[in-house]
Amino acid sequence: MDDAPLIEARGLTKRFGEFVAVDGIDFAVACGETFGFLGPNGAGKSSTMRMIGAVSPVSGGTLRVLGLDPATHGAEIKQRLGVVPQQDTLDFELTVYENILVYGRYFGLPKDVIRTRADELLEFVQLNERRDSRVEPLSGGMKRRLTIARALVNEPSLLLLDEPTTGLDPQARHVLWDRLYRLKQQGVTQVLTTHYMDEAEQLCDRLVVMDRAKIVAQGSPRELIRKYVQREVVELRFAGEPSVDGRLDGLGDRVEVLADRILIGTDDGDACVHAVHERGVAVESMLVRRSTLEDVFLTLTGRTLVD
Amino acid sequence: MAAVAAQPLTTPVQRATAVTAWHARSYRRTWRATITTAFLNPVFFLVSVGVLLGKLIDDQQAALGGLSYVEFVAPALVATTAMQVGTNDGMFPVMAGIRWLRTYHAVLATPVRVAELVLGAMAWSVIRMLVAATIFTAVAALGGAIDSPLAIFAPFAALLCGLAFHAPLAAFTSSPMLEDGSGGWFPAINRFVIIPMFLFSGTFFPVSQLPDWLEPVAWATPLWHGIELCRDLCTGSVELVATLAHVGYLGAFVAVGAALAVRFHERTLLK
Ligand SMILES: Nc1ncnc2c1ncn2[C@@H]1O[C@H](COP(=O)(O)OP(=O)(O)OP(=O)(O)O)[C@@H](O)[C@H]1O
Ligand SMILES: [Mg+2]
Repeated sequence: MDDAPLIEARGLTKRFGEFVAVDGIDFAVACGETFGFLGPNGAGKSSTMRMIGAVSPVSGGTLRVLGLDPATHGAEIKQRLGVVPQQDTLDFELTVYENILVYGRYFGLPKDVIRTRADELLEFVQLNERRDSRVEPLSGGMKRRLTIARALVNEPSLLLLDEPTTGLDPQARHVLWDRLYRLKQQGVTQVLTTHYMDEAEQLCDRLVVMDRAKIVAQGSPRELIRKYVQREVVELRFAGEPSVDGRLDGLGDRVEVLADRILIGTDDGDACVHAVHERGVAVESMLVRRSTLEDVFLTLTGRTLVD
Repeated sequence: MAAVAAQPLTTPVQRATAVTAWHARSYRRTWRATITTAFLNPVFFLVSVGVLLGKLIDDQQAALGGLSYVEFVAPALVATTAMQVGTNDGMFPVMAGIRWLRTYHAVLATPVRVAELVLGAMAWSVIRMLVAATIFTAVAALGGAIDSPLAIFAPFAALLCGLAFHAPLAAFTSSPMLEDGSGGWFPAINRFVIIPMFLFSGTFFPVSQLPDWLEPVAWATPLWHGIELCRDLCTGSVELVATLAHVGYLGAFVAVGAALAVRFHERTLLK
């Protein structure tokens, strides 16, 4: 049972009228793994997450979550699911604590169990000091943490996180990453979507890159980087629009011209920097860095992720 | 396949009750705002129109079926009290849950099913209607405007009337056709549907006073049936056939409204 996938999708499709939001994707998520969907706006990440969460009917293909069909066993699946939706759905009128109490009742948990767990969970997401405040005035990061705490009240086997850290400041993001990492250590399987490469690299064992309703690549972050890009990237910045008149021809293995900079993928960054200087390109600044998932994405789709 | 470990699912009633409990808890924070519409306004109408205005017209008892004016008006206000609550609860909490706060999306991420969500919300409204109608009936009875012992059933008749507003309005509010999620419709519904019904469906004068062509329109409104039911109970003149007809008519509004509400919630929330 342990090596059977917790989620399995084949030819999974979502249509809204004529529009195809998810176009026949295949993936499987193993027990205990953290699995990511990476992709730009409108790629179909949330549509996929909602189908997994049994709140959006599948338009085509097959989907099994916890071995069950969401179309026929939605309630049974949801009993073991924790869901952090892209948009907060907290009850602003209620207090932090009450939000968890109310939610726990939907799973049929006894009140004293919910109370104990609510206290533990608020501790876990560091909200115990705000236990009795109304939700409305909380900061975005606190609301996000409360949503995560609420999603854990039924001790889910599978946690779905749709952009868990979008809109948070770097410190709040790190706190959240830390909590998600701890959950992973406790054996909670996680599926998350993100626009952030560093988040995917930090959290995901495996991920798929989605673009325009399709999966364009999959693997571990490291595999993807090894497979699709060179080891290093040289970033050239210019005072105005990048203009090079072919003077970079033949440099590196791959050149991407963006609106504000030029990226050169290469296995030897220093040599490339040297060559750029030699050719007399008028750059304002130049730096060498390791390739990231962002570069993978750029190579695969010709676009940057955060637009 | 990773089969689901045998985990006891709650029953539909338990889940609907959890939804009702949620609404009750939220209400603890907003009850002050509803005091005026649910409790004070009906009493104001009873005193100003029923008692004070009634003094001027009290000698026309024949047109009122032998009742004093305040005895005529008070039972109708039992029904309109529930109508107010049903109208409010069929619109604002539904819109908030689906579009404003999106809290209904959170509920549906759990094992709660759409029908349980809709009926759980209705159950909370039923409690509110019963409480409001009972308090009003008691106030009117203490003031001498109601004296039949059958009046203890009037709040139940009123709640049927209230649900005949709640259910269709919940269907309307959750409809996928209602693209505009601003709630801009609500004042219009109040102005062009609720208030005209309040004024012309037999609350303050018998509908036989209406022009002949308008009278059947009044008969078609759920409020008229609710008022007739309450009036018969409060004056102790219940007739079986008429009662069954009123209950059947209102029941049809509730049943069709609730079925549509579940369907529309489903289409809007689970797409
Ligand atoms: N309810 C809906 N009705 C019609 N179209 C929809 C609906 N929900 C999503 N779409 C469309 O489906 C496509 C995929 O949307 P989805 O929300 O899955 O993207 P996403 O990858 O989550 O994007 P983002 O990063 O912006 O959250 C988009 O073009 C979107 O407009
Ligand atoms: Mg999304």
